[in-house]
Amino acid sequence: MSLQIKELADKAVKHASKIGVDFAEIKSEESVTRNIEAVNEEIRTVSESNNIGIGIRVFNGKGVGFSFSNILDKEHIFQAVERALKIAKTSKRRTLMNLKLAAVDPRTETKITNVKNHPRNASLDEKKDLCLRECKTALRESKRIANTLSRFGEYHGTIYYSNSEGTEVSHQPLLTGLTISCVAKKGASIVDARDSYGGSYGLDLFKKEHSPEKMGENAAKWALEKLEAKPAPAGKFEALIDPRLAGVLAHESFGHLSEGDTVAIGASPLAGRIGQKLGTEIVTIVDEGRPREGGYSMPFDDEGVPCKRVEILKDGVLKCYLQNRVTAQRLKMEPTGNARSQDYSFEPIVRMRNTFFNVGDWSPEEALRELKRGIYALDSAGGQVDLTGTFLFKAIRGYWVEGGELKYPLLDVALTGNILELLKNINAVCNNLELFSSPFGGCGKMEQRAFVGLGGPHIRVKDVLFGGTS
Amino acid sequence: MEELLEVGKKASKHARKLGVDEAEIFLYKENLTSIKFVGGIFASRGGALKGLRGSLLRIAEPWIKKKGLPVITGGVRAGVGIRVVVKKAIGFASVSSIKEKKIMETVENATKIAKIRPPDPSWDSLPKPKKPRGQNGISDEKIQNLDIDETLKLCVDSCIVAGDFDRKITQAMMGLSASAMTFAVINTKDIEVGDKGTTFTVFMATKAKSGNEEVSSSDMLMSRTYIENLQEFATNTSRNAIECLGKKPLPEKHIGPVVFENISWHQLFSTIFTPSISALNVQENRSIYKGQIGKQIAEKSLEVVDDGTLLEGFGTTIVDDEGTPKQRTPVIENGALQNFLYDNYSAKRENKESTGNANRHRPPIASYANIPMIRPTNLVIQPQRGNLENLVSENNSGVLVKGSLIGVHTSNVITGDFSVTADNAFKIENGRVAYPLKACTVAGNLYESLKSIIAVGNDSKCFGNVICPSVAVEKIVVAT
Repeated sequence: MSLQIKELADKAVKHASKIGVDFAEIKSEESVTRNIEAVNEEIRTVSESNNIGIGIRVFNGKGVGFSFSNILDKEHIFQAVERALKIAKTSKRRTLMNLKLAAVDPRTETKITNVKNHPRNASLDEKKDLCLRECKTALRESKRIANTLSRFGEYHGTIYYSNSEGTEVSHQPLLTGLTISCVAKKGASIVDARDSYGGSYGLDLFKKEHSPEKMGENAAKWALEKLEAKPAPAGKFEALIDPRLAGVLAHESFGHLSEGDTVAIGASPLAGRIGQKLGTEIVTIVDEGRPREGGYSMPFDDEGVPCKRVEILKDGVLKCYLQNRVTAQRLKMEPTGNARSQDYSFEPIVRMRNTFFNVGDWSPEEALRELKRGIYALDSAGGQVDLTGTFLFKAIRGYWVEGGELKYPLLDVALTGNILELLKNINAVCNNLELFSSPFGGCGKMEQRAFVGLGGPHIRVKDVLFGGTS
Repeated sequence: MEELLEVGKKASKHARKLGVDEAEIFLYKENLTSIKFVGGIFASRGGALKGLRGSLLRIAEPWIKKKGLPVITGGVRAGVGIRVVVKKAIGFASVSSIKEKKIMETVENATKIAKIRPPDPSWDSLPKPKKPRGQNGISDEKIQNLDIDETLKLCVDSCIVAGDFDRKITQAMMGLSASAMTFAVINTKDIEVGDKGTTFTVFMATKAKSGNEEVSSSDMLMSRTYIENLQEFATNTSRNAIECLGKKPLPEKHIGPVVFENISWHQLFSTIFTPSISALNVQENRSIYKGQIGKQIAEKSLEVVDDGTLLEGFGTTIVDDEGTPKQRTPVIENGALQNFLYDNYSAKRENKESTGNANRHRPPIASYANIPMIRPTNLVIQPQRGNLENLVSENNSGVLVKGSLIGVHTSNVITGDFSVTADNAFKIENGRVAYPLKACTVAGNLYESLKSIIAVGNDSKCFGNVICPSVAVEKIVVAT
């Protein structure tokens, strides 16, 4: 972070206090996003975007105002402060809620991200080669691989947060990712498959098990396998769910329900249910800022609060919601460090960080061996969820299982159900926790995007409704 | 705009000095205000607060007037996107700043990027200046100097109108955004142009409850100028919700005529049809319409035009996002396909002229951070006759689909197949709306639907880059 921006931020906080706010906070950001895309063995797109700016939130009585600017001079930043105050005053007259911030201890801390082979120091050539190597390996697998698309992405920079209570923290977010999707063709049938990996790591991440060669081979192999796949049967079956799909369930269908803002307005079915048993005893769902196992690492949230490890569900019992300082005050709980904004131009809202099922004591082999008749469902191409916990997900790989053995591959399978019922049907949680994150996309909420991590171990669930091929 | 042009020219000079073959500087500045107002979460009407242990809102009155939960943000976003060409290889870099120093650095970054890319044999050149044919975008002073107090009051008043419409309304929410933007394009082929404009977008959602049944309805309005009166809009949104109470399942699967309200039809049409007329998609075999120019692709009466010169259009500016003048391009005439939409790159590949359809608008990412893509300016389905009621009355039996559809993004844009969920649908019997339907799946094929149009209404509405009326088509499958 350039000294100039830091100074400007500090001046803005002082200016805010002078013109009569009760509380002011500033998020300054300087970050870079780079994307490289290769189709087959040709680089198609390379782009870079630099994001620099300042966002300001002020409280005036029970009114809140947010403003931002990326024209970084004193005149524009002070204008933004004044505008935020004007918005706060306007809001105040119309607000029913008494919005207050839960108390936190002021903190001064700087966290530096130290990784081997940080993408900011690596050449474009090295990154470009990751994509080309990935495509090349996949294309070599078979003549039936008709098309490969590989993407490399990186995001990193510095975030500096300060507020009128004396908190000053800064950290250096980092996210790198590599992905490949392959299309395989045989006669009239066309199928696709993909592999990807990413997290807060340097480029050494792509050296061993997540090398472009390994991922290229996986995606091609899985696509070829799908050429022989059969449609999935429809009906209720026991299912073994892989870490990626488990992550999507943890994040999309359960995590969103535990967000304090949804809980505070009573829109979540988890509202008022702390202490209740919602799942089997072997189920623990965690949301954490810096998990050891990977994902997207963040030490502080965008209110300068340290990211706590939150066990939302512990041994099947609902323990906690995800909070920012406003929802924490409202629900009379502790802030958990879950306030996040897409960038400086958005106000912080309650968001997840890395959401996952915690490990159990089954080995994945054991969990499969004891699956008599059902479906092994892997990875997800997204789906739909609603605020009652009802979900529809499409798994993009699957196998029919009989007597603990994979019998044949399945085409895309749709799973539907309600997460609150699913949690009661989990009968095995394995010991192989994996976390995934990606610089492509991320989670969307209230027109803001945020990078998140998600995952879990393999989990086994009875009575999952599969929708067949539709 | 002069400010943007000036710094853009400097950047273009800097690029030449670095020895690039071509450079394009896109500068963008936007003053954006967004207001969201959740009006009245009405406890005593059995609303959302049940079972909350009273921790949130203590509301005694049945209808809390003039207060709710406002969330307002506003600010200035400015930045630059730079394309440079070195030996037919293209580099792109952007920065969220219009400071000279940052822009110069970004020119250098774009150049570095171009150097690692292979040449694109299809690359011809950046566009050259052309005489404008259309009009400047509308810039409404009221939006440029937005009064936040007044605008919040507009939201609050609208929520009150929506709540007062019927006691069964349990919640009304309004989202509003007002934007005043300026942009400029400078390139080394002597293009030095720009324009400014304002937009005003309103979204409203209401919930209604009766017994154990809870329904919702939403609607939107998009305009280039400030809308002073939203009473009718708010009333209609509430009326739509109330009309959905008493939902029943369909007695049997319906295969036949469906009347789509303009908002529902727009979602399917924009998502599926729009990519199919992009020249780039046609060139790369991603469109069903390849080789179909001059052929009948729709019912004979259907007229579709992409009109970037339409005064009140959301997509109207004097030039597109690479500096090519906007124009009027016929897409479908008498049901026959006339033209595809081009940016400069796809046009040069076919030795044609760009139709002025280069577009960088892809929220929530700021425009300057995106490479131009082919998008319609104002894609207009020409209105014919009759409002929604008239369209319904022309069908003895069928289904009326209203409001926003769920899952439109899962449609297959290549084949045209869609299967979506409609939460605001009605059974039509004897040419009349008989009763509301439980959430139903609506499935069909959009490209086939264009050929089986029964009627096109005259209730055209602007949905950003698409302006369309309600449409009735055959051969749609509906099931609850």
